[in-house]
Amino acid sequence: MTPGARNEAYRLGAPRNGAILILLMLMLIALALWSLTIGATEITPVEVLRAFTAPEGRRADIVLHDVRLPRMAAALIIGALLAVAGAIMQAVTGNPMADPGLLGVNAGAAFAVVLAIALAGITATGTLIWIAFAGAGLAAGAVYGLGAAGRSGATPVKLVLAGVVVASFLTALTTAVMVVDAQTFDVVRLWTAGSVKGRQMQDILAVLPHALVGLVLALALRGQFDALALGADVASGLGQSQALWRPIAALLVVVLAGSAVALAGPVGFVGLVVPHIVRLSLGGDYRRLLPVAALVGAGLTLLADTLPRALWGRDMPVGITLALIGAPVFVWLARRAGGAA
Amino acid sequence: MRPPVPPTRTGLRLSVLALILALAGVAALAIGDQPIRPVNVLGALTGLEGTPAVARIIVLDLRLPRIVLALLVGAALAIAGTAMQALMRNPLAEPGILGINSGAALAAMVVIVGLGAVPETALPVLAFAGALAMTLAIYGLAWRSGVTSLRIILIGIGLGSLAGAGATFLSVFGPVAEVQRAMIWLAGSLNDSRWPKVWWLLCTGLPATVMIAALSRDMDLIGLGDDVARGRGQRVQLVQGAIILAVALLAGGAVAAAGPIAFVGLAAPHVARRLVGPGHAALIPGAALAGALLLVLADLLARRAMAPAQLPVGLTTALLGAPFFGYLLWKRRND
Repeated sequence: MTPGARNEAYRLGAPRNGAILILLMLMLIALALWSLTIGATEITPVEVLRAFTAPEGRRADIVLHDVRLPRMAAALIIGALLAVAGAIMQAVTGNPMADPGLLGVNAGAAFAVVLAIALAGITATGTLIWIAFAGAGLAAGAVYGLGAAGRSGATPVKLVLAGVVVASFLTALTTAVMVVDAQTFDVVRLWTAGSVKGRQMQDILAVLPHALVGLVLALALRGQFDALALGADVASGLGQSQALWRPIAALLVVVLAGSAVALAGPVGFVGLVVPHIVRLSLGGDYRRLLPVAALVGAGLTLLADTLPRALWGRDMPVGITLALIGAPVFVWLARRAGGAA
Repeated sequence: MRPPVPPTRTGLRLSVLALILALAGVAALAIGDQPIRPVNVLGALTGLEGTPAVARIIVLDLRLPRIVLALLVGAALAIAGTAMQALMRNPLAEPGILGINSGAALAAMVVIVGLGAVPETALPVLAFAGALAMTLAIYGLAWRSGVTSLRIILIGIGLGSLAGAGATFLSVFGPVAEVQRAMIWLAGSLNDSRWPKVWWLLCTGLPATVMIAALSRDMDLIGLGDDVARGRGQRVQLVQGAIILAVALLAGGAVAAAGPIAFVGLAAPHVARRLVGPGHAALIPGAALAGALLLVLADLLARRAMAPAQLPVGLTTALLGAPFFGYLLWKRRND
């Protein structure tokens, strides 16, 4: 689509944007309340409200405050973070296959966590969060350093190649450790599926500042990502400095995806597919896509975490459920709207 | 755009690459827990009188099937990667887009972790079936009076994550010993190389390679866009379908023989493009040689790095290929 046509579509769609966002938020609130009522202990919606307005230390209050609320918050946060990070990655690299894992974030976090478990025997979630964050940051720094080397800076192709190089290197090292060390493997395999089970308020609070700063910045700068998504030539034509905005975008992805991985392990699918779902249904304008993707990502992740509990009363790693719920929808959308033959 | 490489120099470079591959092959046959002198390796290969019987047995019966399989798997992955990059008009495409790896991985996880009782020999067949079924599903779902590369990519992403979720589910809830065994297969391994696997790969790979070679001019045309290709008389949908079928046979056969080995299909075409330029008539053999060389060396490293422990070769392709690829990126930093 030409920039003119995109702007036209955006203007025509403008009054609808507010309506879509409000509708999504209402759905998200309803979903959040519902998710709080689901679990081993029966808690009615009325009791949920009472637990927040007038907590008296009842069993329901404790379950809600200590177990379900942090878990719900974790699902919402990582869903929003990964969806926005994926959308930005796809804009910067001009590659529809791009997801936060591409910057080496997941591979770096996984390697750091595996090393921490294998060498130091660390298993406390609170500690692993920070180790994962550090690993994600270091790996992403290496990817960016390799991809940005040289006069032309971090072009999309170089970034993706550097991501593949560093990620496959770290993944190979991680696999080597896991093949040799069965005990570490047993601890790590649960973590690598991605899950928000058992997250505590202190974990959420540790990640929340990074997450909020990243999300607010990403949303505030969404016009810039819209220009980036149009490709280098158009973006330069619009007067955007590629040398400035690509590193900013990469840094944002690291903060967003790094926080998410730290909180829940490498959760797949959301970062890759939610931006596509929004793009296929509402078009590719990033000024609209980013906020909608954040809400859809948050909602889908929470739904995926809650549904198995509601239906079968048991936990599933959210990364798995997400794919089982989301993939058929996504394939249907892609088939319907994925470009003419 | 790099200037085209003159034909004579192309031939020379391909010959040098083939020579290096031959030397690497002999070296791989000579090196092992029981070192064999290169003279005796050549003697065993050519059936020369006076070669010690021990050397003949070790070289021909133990090491040769493994090295031949490494060579063929590397070449198959590289040819499939080259074809995918041409088809998608994307230098970052690799056969995994067609869901080949995720289909095979899911099938293998089901066999190793889920069923348990199925004999090991069924694994390659079922992995191949999984890869082929996944490719057909993606192609079929992407078909709407024709396919587009965007639709293939999108539907590949969707079905790939679905299969990936299934495999992860089995890996999280399966018994740890069996999952670990599956991990070795999933990392890509040539530890269990036998002649039947070689024949199996040749059966699927040879016709596919002939097909790809016959389509090399069409692949040059694809790069110019669908409309230009159609204008030059290409039946675009037929060519696309043929390439996808060939890629599925090549990459599916490779996955069945050695598990999903990342990186070779992506890297070998890039290496070949630097050596012989973008024309597919030279690029395809170039990539095949580069991929074969990469995998023979990677497997040698996998055998010897922690000997007598045998690492999965998929680990060493990444450990060996990634820094090399990084070096290529670094060297091209002035582009």
